[in-house]
Amino acid sequence: MSKTMRFQFRKGPEVRFLSHLDLVRAMERAVRRAGLPMAYSEGFSPRPIMSYSFALPVGVLSEAEYADFRLTEELEPAEFMELFNRHLPPGFRVLQAAHLPQGAPSLMSGINAALWKLHLPVAAREEIQERWRRLQAEDSFVVERQTKKGTRQVDLLPLVYGLPAVLETGDAVEVHCLAALGSEANLRVEELALLLGFNPAEALVTRMGQFKKEGSHYRPPLGNRGFTWTES
Amino acid sequence: MDQRLVPLLPLVTKPARYTNHEVNAQHKEWSEDRVKMALAFPDIYDVGMGHLGFKILYAIINGRSDALAERVYAPWVDMQKLMEERGIPLTSLESGRDLASFDLVGFTLQHELSYTNILKMLDLAGIPRRTSARDEGDPLVLAGGPCAFNVEPLADFLDFVVLGEGEEVIHEILDLVKEKKQQGISRKEILRELARVPGVYVPSFYQPIYAGGTFQRIEPLYPDLPAQIDKRVAPDLGALPFPEEFVVPFAEVVHDRTMVEILRGCTRGCRFCQAGMIYRPVRERDPELLKEQVAKIVASTGYDEISLSSLSSGDYTQIRSLVKDLIDAYQGCGVSVSLPSLRLDSFAVELAQDIQKARKTGLTFAPEAGTQRLRDVINKNVSDQDLKEVVQAAFQAGWHRIKLYFMIGLPTETEEDLDGIADLAHKVLSWGREFRTSRKRPEVTVSVSSFVPKPHTPFQWVGQDSLELLTSKQNYLMERLRHPGIQFSLHQVEHSFLEAVFSRGDRRLGAALERAVDLGCQFDSWGDQLRFDLWLQAFKDTGIDAVHYAQRDIDPAEALPWSHLSPGVDAEFLLREWNLARQGVPTADCRWDLCSRCGVCFNYPVANRLVEASRGE
Repeated sequence: MSKTMRFQFRKGPEVRFLSHLDLVRAMERAVRRAGLPMAYSEGFSPRPIMSYSFALPVGVLSEAEYADFRLTEELEPAEFMELFNRHLPPGFRVLQAAHLPQGAPSLMSGINAALWKLHLPVAAREEIQERWRRLQAEDSFVVERQTKKGTRQVDLLPLVYGLPAVLETGDAVEVHCLAALGSEANLRVEELALLLGFNPAEALVTRMGQFKKEGSHYRPPLGNRGFTWTES
Repeated sequence: MDQRLVPLLPLVTKPARYTNHEVNAQHKEWSEDRVKMALAFPDIYDVGMGHLGFKILYAIINGRSDALAERVYAPWVDMQKLMEERGIPLTSLESGRDLASFDLVGFTLQHELSYTNILKMLDLAGIPRRTSARDEGDPLVLAGGPCAFNVEPLADFLDFVVLGEGEEVIHEILDLVKEKKQQGISRKEILRELARVPGVYVPSFYQPIYAGGTFQRIEPLYPDLPAQIDKRVAPDLGALPFPEEFVVPFAEVVHDRTMVEILRGCTRGCRFCQAGMIYRPVRERDPELLKEQVAKIVASTGYDEISLSSLSSGDYTQIRSLVKDLIDAYQGCGVSVSLPSLRLDSFAVELAQDIQKARKTGLTFAPEAGTQRLRDVINKNVSDQDLKEVVQAAFQAGWHRIKLYFMIGLPTETEEDLDGIADLAHKVLSWGREFRTSRKRPEVTVSVSSFVPKPHTPFQWVGQDSLELLTSKQNYLMERLRHPGIQFSLHQVEHSFLEAVFSRGDRRLGAALERAVDLGCQFDSWGDQLRFDLWLQAFKDTGIDAVHYAQRDIDPAEALPWSHLSPGVDAEFLLREWNLARQGVPTADCRWDLCSRCGVCFNYPVANRLVEASRGE
C-alpha cells in the first residue's frame, strides 16, 4: 500500500490572507504538532515531504485545496483526518483523505481546470448572463498580463470553459465559472472579474474545485468521478 | 481582529500581519470583571512577534482568570493611511477592540528610535498623548523594557513605568488595578497607589528642577514616594513562569522560532553595553527544566527551530551538553537548534560545529574595536591571539564567511584604532586563504555601528562624535576595506545620533518628540522611513539643542536626569569603571573572578546563580 496521503482541504476566511508560503509553513507546523509520521527530505535542513496543488492567490477562499503528504507509516485516512484536523489552525479543515495509489499522477499533472465562485455585492444576474452571451459571440477578449518577463497580450475567452451557474441571492450575485488552471493555460482570478465587468477588489472569490479536464469531463484529483459540462 | 479592516486587507502589503487566528492566540471573553491589558509593541507585527518579553507577559496575564491580554502592533504606513482616511482607530489583534477600551496599555521600550511610534499609536487609538490630558475613561498607559532606565523623554506621555523584570510586578499591578477599578477609585488615586509598588515609577509625581538650563535634580511631589526607584529583579529564574504556548504567526516574522531563555544578565562588563549593566546579576536556568520547556513548546507550536536565547549564550555553564541533548532529541524531526549570540572564543567554533554539522553558512564575531588597546578600554576581553585562533579554527572547520562587528567613535579612539579594524579584516581574509577547507572563496563582512553613550554604563558621560566625524571615519574605513573579499555595511549615523539624544535625554525632549510626530516622523529605525530633516526641524521648533544632548562630555560631578531610575548598579562603580577605561585597565568577570563591586548583589537579595558544570565542561 502506498504511504502517500492525498487530501482535500478548506482554506476559510480566518486564513484567507495567508500567502502560499505562509500556508506551507502553517502545514509543516501543524504536522509537527500532530506528530504525524511524516517522511523528511535528506540534506542539511530536512523538511517534511509534501506537495500542493496550484497556489491560491492571497485573499481567495477555497473549498478544494489538495495536498500529498508522504508518510513513513501507514495511517487510516479517517485517523489521519481526525488527528490532523485537531492540530490545524482555525480556518483550515481536511474534508476528505485517501491513500494515493502507486503510480498515480502528481497533483500538478493531474489538474488543469478550476471551478471558481465569485461573490459580487450587486444584484446583477441578468447583466452578467447577457455580458457572457455577448462575449461568447466575440472572437476574442484580449487583456494585458503582467508577467516576470514583462507584459504580454492574452486572449481570455479560450481560458473560460463555462458559467455553470449564475445565482442571485438578495442583493448579491454568485457566479460559478469553470476555467483553465495550471502552467500551460491559466485564467487569473482578477482577469475573470475583468471579463465579467467587475472590479476584482469587489469580488469575494472561492475556489470550489480543481479538476483534470478531459474533453467535457471534469474529474477531481480525489473522491468522486466528477461531472460533465458543456457550455451551450 | 477588527472587521472594519477586512475590506482594507486586499489593499495592503502582507495582510496576514493584521488578521489573527494564529495557533495559541488567546481569545478570552471580554467580561466586566476582568482587567484588560493591551501589550502594545511600537513597531510592526513582523518585528514585535519575535519579542520574548511580551510572550512571557502574554502567558502570565492570560493565565489569570481575572485578567486578559491582547496584542497590538503599529500598522505599517500603507495600512495607517487607509485607517486614517476611513476613521478606523487602532485596535487589538485578538478581539479587534479599540485600544482605548482597555484598562491598561503597555508599551515595551526596546530602543529610542521607537518612541515616535508610541505617540503615533496613541494618536491612531484616539488616546490623548499626554498624561495630563487623559481622563477617567482613558486607559492607563505604561511602559517597561531596557529604555525604562532613562524614560524621562517619555515622561509626559506615560502614566507609569516599570523598571526591571516584569514577571512578578505585573501581578501586583493587575491586583491593584482590579481592586481600584471595582472600588471606582480615580485615576490619580490609582497612580498614587501604583507609585508605592516597588519598581513602579509614576513620572508625573516627580518634578525635575533645572537651573540655567541645566538639570539639577528630580524631586518627588509627595513625601511618601521614594527619591530613587529600584528595579525589580528575581533571585531565581526557576521560580518565574515561562510560556509553554507561544503564539505561532502565519506571516513570516523576525525571530520566527521557539525561544527559551537559558540565562539572564551578563557580567562580562563591556563598558559601552547597557544590557550588561541593567540585567545583572547572571542567573542561569536549570538545564532539565529547559529541556522540559523546549519539549512542551515544540509540541504546542510545531516550530522547526529552537533558539537558546540570552545576552551571551556561550557563557551558559552547561551549554555544550544542553545543545547536544537538544540536537539528539530533535534532529530526526527536522527541528534545529540555534544560538543567537556567541562570544569570540575557540569554544564558540566548537559549539557552532555541533549546531551546523554540515551547513556552514556564516559565523559572526564581535571584536568591537580594532586594537588591543581599545578593546582593553571598552573591557572587551578578547586578545588578538584569541581572534586569530578562533578565525583559523572556523576556516579549518569549513566556514568560509566570517562576519565581524565593530563600533566606531568609542572613547579614546584614534586613527590607529580605525586602521586596526581594516587590518583585522584583511588579516581574517588572509587567514581564510591559508586555512580554509571549504571550496568557496573566503569572505569577510565588516559591520560598523557608531558608539552611542547609554545611561547607567561607564561611558554614560562620554559625548558622541559629531555626525561629520562619524561620517569621515566611515569613509576612512570604506577606503581601506575596498577589496572584493570584503563586504562593508554601515549603520546610518543619523540613527546613532537620535539614539544618543534620547538615551541621554531629559524630560524637556518630550516637546521635540511630540513635534517630530506632528511633522510626520515615525518608524525612525527603518532606514527608508527616517526623516532626519523633519527631526532637525522638530528640535529647532522646540528650542532643543540636540547636539548638546548627544555630543557633550558630561562632568561626572553633574547630576544626571536618569540617576533616580536605578538598575542596582552603583554610580561609584560606573565612575570607577570609567577611570579604569581611561587607563586601559580591564575588569574581570565576577562569575569566575573577583567581585567587581558593581553593587547589584548588595542592593538586592540576589547573586550570580550558575548551574553546576556537567562532566567534561
